[in-house]
Amino acid sequence: MSKEGKTFNIMFAGVGGQGLMLLSAILGKAAVDSGLKVMTGEQHGLSQRQGSIYVHFRIGEPISPLIPYGKADMLIAMEASEALRYVEYLKENGVVIMSNRIMPSVTETKSVALDKEKQTSYLSVEDIVKQLEQVTSRIVLLDSLELAIQAGNARTENSVLIGATVACEDFPIPAEEARGAVLALVPPKTQNANSKAFDLGFESSSGCLGI
Amino acid sequence: MTVEDVKRTDSGPALMLANEAVVRGAFESDVKIVAFYPGSPTSEILDTFGEVLEHFDDYKMHISANEKVALETVAGASMAGMRSFTSMKSVGMNVASDSMFSIAYTGLNAGCVCLIADDPYAHSSQSEQDGRYFGEAAYVPMIEPATAQEALDMTKWAFEVSEKHKTLVIIRTTTRVNHQREMVDLGDLNRTPFKKNKWADVKGQYFTVGSVARALKAKLLDKTEAVKKDFEKTDFNKVVPGNGNVGILTSGVCYLHVKEAMQNLNIELPVFKLGTLFPLPEKKLTEFIKSLSTLIVVEELTPYLETRIAALAQTVSPTLNIVGKRSGHFSEMLEYNVPIVEKVLAEITDKKVSMDYDAVLKKAERLKEILPERPPIFCPGCPHRGTLWAFRQALQQLKIRDNIVFNNDIGCYSMAFLPPNEFSDSMLAMGASVGISAGMELALEDKVIAMVGDSTLYHAALPGIVNLIHHNSNVTLFVLDNSVTAMTGQQFNPNSPFDAGGTPARKINMEKMFEALGADKIVIMDPYETRDCIGTIKEAIEADGFSVIISRRECALYGDREKKKRGEKLIPSENIKDTCRGIYACVKEFYCPAITVDESDAKMIIQSDLCDGCLECRQVCPVDAPRHMEVKE
Repeated sequence: MSKEGKTFNIMFAGVGGQGLMLLSAILGKAAVDSGLKVMTGEQHGLSQRQGSIYVHFRIGEPISPLIPYGKADMLIAMEASEALRYVEYLKENGVVIMSNRIMPSVTETKSVALDKEKQTSYLSVEDIVKQLEQVTSRIVLLDSLELAIQAGNARTENSVLIGATVACEDFPIPAEEARGAVLALVPPKTQNANSKAFDLGFESSSGCLGI
Repeated sequence: MTVEDVKRTDSGPALMLANEAVVRGAFESDVKIVAFYPGSPTSEILDTFGEVLEHFDDYKMHISANEKVALETVAGASMAGMRSFTSMKSVGMNVASDSMFSIAYTGLNAGCVCLIADDPYAHSSQSEQDGRYFGEAAYVPMIEPATAQEALDMTKWAFEVSEKHKTLVIIRTTTRVNHQREMVDLGDLNRTPFKKNKWADVKGQYFTVGSVARALKAKLLDKTEAVKKDFEKTDFNKVVPGNGNVGILTSGVCYLHVKEAMQNLNIELPVFKLGTLFPLPEKKLTEFIKSLSTLIVVEELTPYLETRIAALAQTVSPTLNIVGKRSGHFSEMLEYNVPIVEKVLAEITDKKVSMDYDAVLKKAERLKEILPERPPIFCPGCPHRGTLWAFRQALQQLKIRDNIVFNNDIGCYSMAFLPPNEFSDSMLAMGASVGISAGMELALEDKVIAMVGDSTLYHAALPGIVNLIHHNSNVTLFVLDNSVTAMTGQQFNPNSPFDAGGTPARKINMEKMFEALGADKIVIMDPYETRDCIGTIKEAIEADGFSVIISRRECALYGDREKKKRGEKLIPSENIKDTCRGIYACVKEFYCPAITVDESDAKMIIQSDLCDGCLECRQVCPVDAPRHMEVKE
């Protein structure tokens, strides 16, 4: 746990419709089941899909629902460009766990498509990682969609990311509590695929984060 | 999940959103009648009450046509002897306040509580309105929680205060309180069965005008004094002891920012954590400020507390140095966080901030320079996208794009101000488009066009529409009929055959209503038949008098969810690259987030996991390149 009031801070980021709230609910349950205090600052409101969304997720002795800038121990992004969008929250050498998926905004698509010289290209995951590396070297990049498909259900990306998060040795929630919370909150029919997705995420991330 | 915790009959800890804790608090208070119009950041209160309606089966609920009706509904229930509750967003109280001021005069009977949620930063509102003045202006007790736990405890307390003093009680929150999730200690749940009262058993008089009003006003002042006495004693107004003669006055979520900032700075200043915004506990506050040389007031938005404490200090502690907005330390803009508060506390106490937040922000800004914006956008499958596309084509064909004025209203379609539509002449408040249109029609040579959604139509647009028709105004009105109140989470409204919790309700027949009102022309179109809509829109715009274009197609999020429930599969579309000629109409004029460009051949690809299969894009494509994917059996 970090020094500031023994609180472990996670910034979740993603795009509306990806299931960020479920991800947050699962880890919330896992934290509570592990006997840890948890507090979140969530972004609800306009229900449109494809907007930028976030959850401030704090475990330990949180006071404010919002993580101060530069104090997130982890940044978990379900969409790569959204990791960069909230980089001000990430602490120096904090952990980034991010999907390599990019969902381009329509304005970006427009500038790429309409450039007759073909000089404009989409922002790449490599571009994003390069920027994040100026804050931390601890970045886990996951092909979360591919891993979810391998697990047998494309909609288990959440579980891939949770598995990867749990593999980080700073993370205060035990792996089995996290798995239990996943299985408790996903639809019963998808439990096997989610469990597999959790394992695949765990495997892809462990080893990357030794300090 | 947490709805299960709302239903629990035992006490104990639960992880809850503050909005859910409010619902739990109301249930623990045996609330019997609830009514709401949805609005962020309070919508989850309505949704949670709706979700457990069938489970409890011991309270009644309306999704009301607007906030004023909702407040009147719960006031009526209170007069009839039933505990009642409503909640609304900041600007919702503007609508409800007409009745609220009178309710304060007449008083009520059974416990009646109204939550209003301000939205500093205007995350999802048209203004950063400060609703704290409503309490004082109307003489209605107003309290403010800081946490989810307090949200629950204060809701229960609000019912007691309301019932004891026979008054409405307002709970004031801000977005960061409503959308905060934490561990909450639940109390026991002892629900009683629902049973209608007899007026003879509960009756009172709720009437105010002239001499009656003057008599009631005198009573209201006495009542306020009595409430104030109680508020001097409540533990929700507490002094957290600390060291030195620099103290802090704060309330709501700012209290949490203050606590964390002090921890970061390793200081312990005495803090007055205020729980009652009106009436203020002046004696307790006086005692607190008397021992101080400097008082830091930490509050978002206007200097509500600061001006009141300054007035108090003038008599009881004239040399008190007040640090706040007037001293230039805090802004009246936006919402606060730990860094904002920490910086001021560090400056005043001569400490060093725990982190160079400015440097962090500056570095982040530089790193983000490469990041494209992600502006809000209509969902894949949204019928509004087709309606607005066809509208633009119609204006182009009629060659009148520069000879119209477009007055928009509150809903997802507010986003019509963004590219590619850029209709942004006006957008003010629920239903305002039609009132504004009346004035513009009088004053302008141009064609006046207004747009409302179905929920906004019944919320506050109807009087404006009646007014337009009555005055023979030459205005065209779009009604975007997507079946639900989409923007706040697809709640039902008078345009739905359902009420809260999916219980049956009567759907208002929209076209018959317009017919009866005397609309000169009513056309109905399906925005998924996007090309056909162009002609329909032209016809309505060219008609004399008041014309209505009902664009009817259910919200895609709602429709897709219903399809899923029925076991129907969504069939996404694909772009047939052999047909696609790279004309980019779908990119330039349509802005669907499911459509991206393949950089290898510069042709479009439809992201099948994002696509809703609406095929509006096929209608927009000059060569019909998109089509449904083949369904593998």
